Amino acid sequence: MSTKQVKNNFEVAIIGGGIVGTAVFSELCRLGVNCVLLEASEDVSNGSTKANSGIVHSGYDPTPNSLMAKFNILGANMYEDMCKRLSVTYLKCGTLTVSNEEGRQKLNDLLNRGKQNGVKGLKIVENKELHKLEPNLNSDITLGLYAPTGALVSPYNVCVALAEEGIVNGGTVYCYFNVNKIKYQNQLYTIYAKESYAPTPFVNAKYVINCAGANAIEVNKLLGLPEPQNVSYVKGEYIILDKSLKGYVNRPIFPLPTAMGKGIVSNLTVHGNILLGPTATPCQKDDVSVSTDSIAQIVDKVCLTIKKPNFGKTIKLFAGVRAKVGNDFVIERDNTHKNYYYTLGICSPGLTSAPAIAVYIKDMLIEDGLKTKNITPKKRKPYPELATLSRQELNKLIKANPQYGRIICKCENVSEGEIIDILNSPLKPTSIDAIKRRVRPSMGRCQGSFCIPKLINLISQYLNIPKEKVTLNGIGSEIVISDIKQYGYYARKQINTVLKQVSTKK
Amino acid sequence: MKTDVLVIGGGPAGMACAFSAAQNGASVILVEREYRLGGILNQCIHNGFGLHYFNEELSGPEYAYRWQQKIENNKKIKIMCSTYVTKITRGVNFFVEATNPEGVVNIEAKSVILAMGCRERPAGAINLTGTRPAGIFTAGCAQAIVNLQGKMIGKKVVILGSGDIGLIMARRLVCEGAQVVGVFEIMDKCGGLARNYTQCLQDFNIPLHLSTTITRVKGTKRLTGVYAAPLINGKVDYTQEKLIPCDTLLLSVGLTPEIELVSNFNLEQYPFTKSYAVDEYLQTTEPGLFLAGNIMQVNDLVDNVSNDGEIAGKSAALYAKGKLDITQKIEIAHDSSIRYTIPKYIYKNNEKSARICFRTDKEYRRIFVTATSNKKQIAKNYVITITNGQIYNLNLNKQNLNKNLFLSIEQQKIQE
Repeated sequence: MSTKQVKNNFEVAIIGGGIVGTAVFSELCRLGVNCVLLEASEDVSNGSTKANSGIVHSGYDPTPNSLMAKFNILGANMYEDMCKRLSVTYLKCGTLTVSNEEGRQKLNDLLNRGKQNGVKGLKIVENKELHKLEPNLNSDITLGLYAPTGALVSPYNVCVALAEEGIVNGGTVYCYFNVNKIKYQNQLYTIYAKESYAPTPFVNAKYVINCAGANAIEVNKLLGLPEPQNVSYVKGEYIILDKSLKGYVNRPIFPLPTAMGKGIVSNLTVHGNILLGPTATPCQKDDVSVSTDSIAQIVDKVCLTIKKPNFGKTIKLFAGVRAKVGNDFVIERDNTHKNYYYTLGICSPGLTSAPAIAVYIKDMLIEDGLKTKNITPKKRKPYPELATLSRQELNKLIKANPQYGRIICKCENVSEGEIIDILNSPLKPTSIDAIKRRVRPSMGRCQGSFCIPKLINLISQYLNIPKEKVTLNGIGSEIVISDIKQYGYYARKQINTVLKQVSTKK
Repeated sequence: MKTDVLVIGGGPAGMACAFSAAQNGASVILVEREYRLGGILNQCIHNGFGLHYFNEELSGPEYAYRWQQKIENNKKIKIMCSTYVTKITRGVNFFVEATNPEGVVNIEAKSVILAMGCRERPAGAINLTGTRPAGIFTAGCAQAIVNLQGKMIGKKVVILGSGDIGLIMARRLVCEGAQVVGVFEIMDKCGGLARNYTQCLQDFNIPLHLSTTITRVKGTKRLTGVYAAPLINGKVDYTQEKLIPCDTLLLSVGLTPEIELVSNFNLEQYPFTKSYAVDEYLQTTEPGLFLAGNIMQVNDLVDNVSNDGEIAGKSAALYAKGKLDITQKIEIAHDSSIRYTIPKYIYKNNEKSARICFRTDKEYRRIFVTATSNKKQIAKNYVITITNGQIYNLNLNKQNLNKNLFLSIEQQKIQE
């Protein structure tokens, strides 16, 4: 970015680089709109999106005729093609909602609701057929609502790919652009960044779309919009287990949903880890801590559905916050400020709905006068993923570039070449976590014990920054603080006390 | 590429394997994923290595260098660094796939020794709750950053777990100018060697808090504090939780053997070591597949690791020649005071003795370790103390070994 002149004037500014923001960004950039995506943290996909179950919901759960139901179905139908276009994994595994005999009525209600919502292929599976699908279900679980159109994606891979697609089609992404002031004058918005290290202090745009997820209400307040009623923040905590348990469950398994949400899912990731969660704990907007009680709750609840997995294989606990506004999404254009749009309360099924929401927002903008161009959108260039290559392909790749033969992360089998590729990608990751989300080093069973020192080296070398500036997840989370032998004060004090003690003993 | 013996891992165990296999006439390929041999020894710049093997007190890199010299110019040993094994399968021989910067490598070996050591348990594995800020390291990761990169990781440090790496890092960080607030240990005694407790904590005035654990961490970007709470009757007492301000947390909470590479083999598991069961040749239940070093069990001393390596190396060489005598297999039985034995099986063969090591369930003083075979006592060793956690090595004379073997611990009767 430093080599290019910093651009300040745009047609459209999107606030928030989560799944909704990046979907809108890619949608508009592919229509040739001069667009900027403003992300507060160091990378896109850093809020609710990264702490997501990754499920493309089939759509039988939302109340019929709600926005959730509408966008869920539309979004789910778009996902496979979108993933193909973006070259990201789309795991067509279906989903199961299970229960014991007592839940038959409720499952049937869900089945009917699903039909009403337009979900295809729904059916109830029982006993042997059910246990054949999921051999680790508890024996008293005899009923399941099977939704063949449900699928799994990696939420952050989709989000990053959407942002990259926007960039290759001419869009701009500013990370570290934490919006703290919006000025509206002469039908032009000037958006200011809070931090001095933002890539630019402000941007101008004619259209502004607020996709700031859990912070969206705060952004609305910057324009003086009132806080809607029934706002709540709900924390979803997760346990992730090692890949060696791959196959313990084959698809997301939901318990019967309750008023609090879809319940704790026995799930997996597209990369083969077992993912258990989320909880639904009321919390503060920015509280992503995991509590001991919640972990116990996940363990208990999961065991109601499936045979107790080996929790000794836990590799990480994490949590994310989703905002809820009433019982539905809020996606509106503002009456008081022309060309200002906001999305609030995008909780589940937000990931699934995102591509449909993006189209809906795009249509609103066009209705309001946004000019688009009829261009042939460029495709995002995927990076070679060594784990998916055949031996011959791999050999060819290494012969061309030996860096692909140097393994950095041994748990996930990630080579130096892959990491360098993404350090040169359109949306350069600048933190260890950003690299981890893209190509998985330190995502595995050792959680980076072996590779973090090497990643620090690579980031420092390829982004040309000192090691002290390499962060875990953005400025303030630096990993190393200085050269050794810099902080001698305490040591001297300590040694002096010890020497004193020794001398008094004598 | 074809070889008699393939050794995976170029740390202390792997180097000893390669050396001993070559000594016993086998051709050897040693693969190491790092660019140089030595493994974790390279980052262990403290001393205390080699007292038994070389009768000298060496640092980790020196100890590694001694072994490197032993194998480097050996014509029977081919060393491949920066090479990472991705898959092992078997027909009559083993087929091993690996990658290195020159390309994809295929190796066919008559026998394979796994000497990949352990990895550290990360924060997630101990259900450390709270936020996920920077500043939480496993002790070994911190050791690599400080000792190999010369970078400091924090100013005010809390250490969870009193394993040897934790103790050594406590001292190391104080020497580099950090304040180590304390070492917290969930058990009621120090997990590391007594000498490390004295030399690393006591000598540097670092407090050790026993029966206390870290329950959760605080801080959004960088760690700002951890909560510690005591254990009452084995349960964490959350009412006594106390915030300790710090910017760094080191975890020294145990090691897990790196056994996943061979999960496609149907090997007998050994729950005590979280690894696989082995016989006296250090062979797993898959003939020709051997273990050596910390992948088999976590050792206190590197000298024992080298010793394992020599046994496994020799056995793998014999296996490659078809000379491994496995006719009369005996499972070692033991009383409940012994938690597990390595090996799990021994043979009645021509070997005069076998090394059997074990850990006990608790600390014992003034005991006899006895071995009985076919109702006859065949060994009785007097031991003054054996702490739990410490490995006891028994050199069993096998001449009187019969169809079975039972190990037990007997208190010495004090005559009044």
